[in-house]
Amino acid sequence: MGWFWSSTSKEDPTAPNRENRQRCWETRDTYFACLDRAGVVKAGEEGKACEKEHKAYEGNCAKSWIEYFNQRRIIADAQKERLGLRNNSRTPKSDLQGSFFG
Amino acid sequence: MFSLTRSTLYCCPRRVFTASWRSKVQTVQKPVRTHWRTYAQISERNTIGAFTPTAAALFILTGIGLAVYLRNEKQRLEEEREKERALKSYGRPQIGGPFSLTTHDGEPFTQEGLLGKWSLVYFGFTNCPDICPAELDKITAVMNNIQKEHGHIFLPIFISVDPARDSPSRIAQYLKDFHPSFLGLVGAYDTTKAVCKAYRVYFSTPPNADPNGDYLVDHSIFVYLMDPRGQFVEAFGQQVTAEEVEAKINESITQWQKGTGKKV
Repeated sequence: MGWFWSSTSKEDPTAPNRENRQRCWETRDTYFACLDRAGVVKAGEEGKACEKEHKAYEGNCAKSWIEYFNQRRIIADAQKERLGLRNNSRTPKSDLQGSFFG
Repeated sequence: MFSLTRSTLYCCPRRVFTASWRSKVQTVQKPVRTHWRTYAQISERNTIGAFTPTAAALFILTGIGLAVYLRNEKQRLEEEREKERALKSYGRPQIGGPFSLTTHDGEPFTQEGLLGKWSLVYFGFTNCPDICPAELDKITAVMNNIQKEHGHIFLPIFISVDPARDSPSRIAQYLKDFHPSFLGLVGAYDTTKAVCKAYRVYFSTPPNADPNGDYLVDHSIFVYLMDPRGQFVEAFGQQVTAEEVEAKINESITQWQKGTGKKV
């Protein structure tokens, strides 16, 4: 893992391309799926449960993106909670993410 | 005869008096009959002269014809007005205007570059995590279809709201992932701010953003359709599908063609 498209190199940082974005989204989805299994909404509160997934996520996404996606996850969960309360059924998290990032 | 009397009655009551009086004279006062009759005949002929059955029929037919024509005309005018209203239904919001930016090839580009083509204008930044690439993919899909149908009369434009980091070369690299017709534009902070204001676009980049910083830009996400005169036609939000965008473009081109006889 390791390469990063922004901030680390001082000379003319290049924008992420399609491949970079795709890889970032994939590692994010894997990490978030792990958080779902661990029953954690807020990234970072899972302890050592998703260490491998988290490492891949951090290695493939810019810090600003990670903050943004993590924030999105919390907002999505709050929204789902509100909607879910009505009919007392919980929709899988991945569905909600799909509407944001798909 | 009856109808004649009626039209007479309708026309001039004085003559009705003459006629009824004459009929009395006919039955009772035979001696003076000739003189009165002659006079009555003349007057009757005069009466009949203007109102023969043919004339009456013509009169009625003309009346009906006029009524039908006027009603049709009124309906036609109303329909025309309605059509005009539909065309200008939203008025024309003051979106767009003069700007002076640099293309991804480093060439100067102003609003005049929009003339003679239909353009799809989107504001974004190359470090955008998910929404911009999704929108640019949508425009790419739309472009593929409408170009196939109408030819090369479209100009998709990407205007950067992140002038600190988005150099022309960086934008050029970024746009390689999308439709080849895409034109990237960028300016200094103030010109970026001005063009955003003209297009009513909000963006959050601070003027002193670090060119090497890792930050996101919050910005409005609309795709603007501009006509070949560079005037605003429609704004498409994120939830509008590629098919809906295409439908609106086709409709706009059809209307434009009706008015100008050309597609651009």
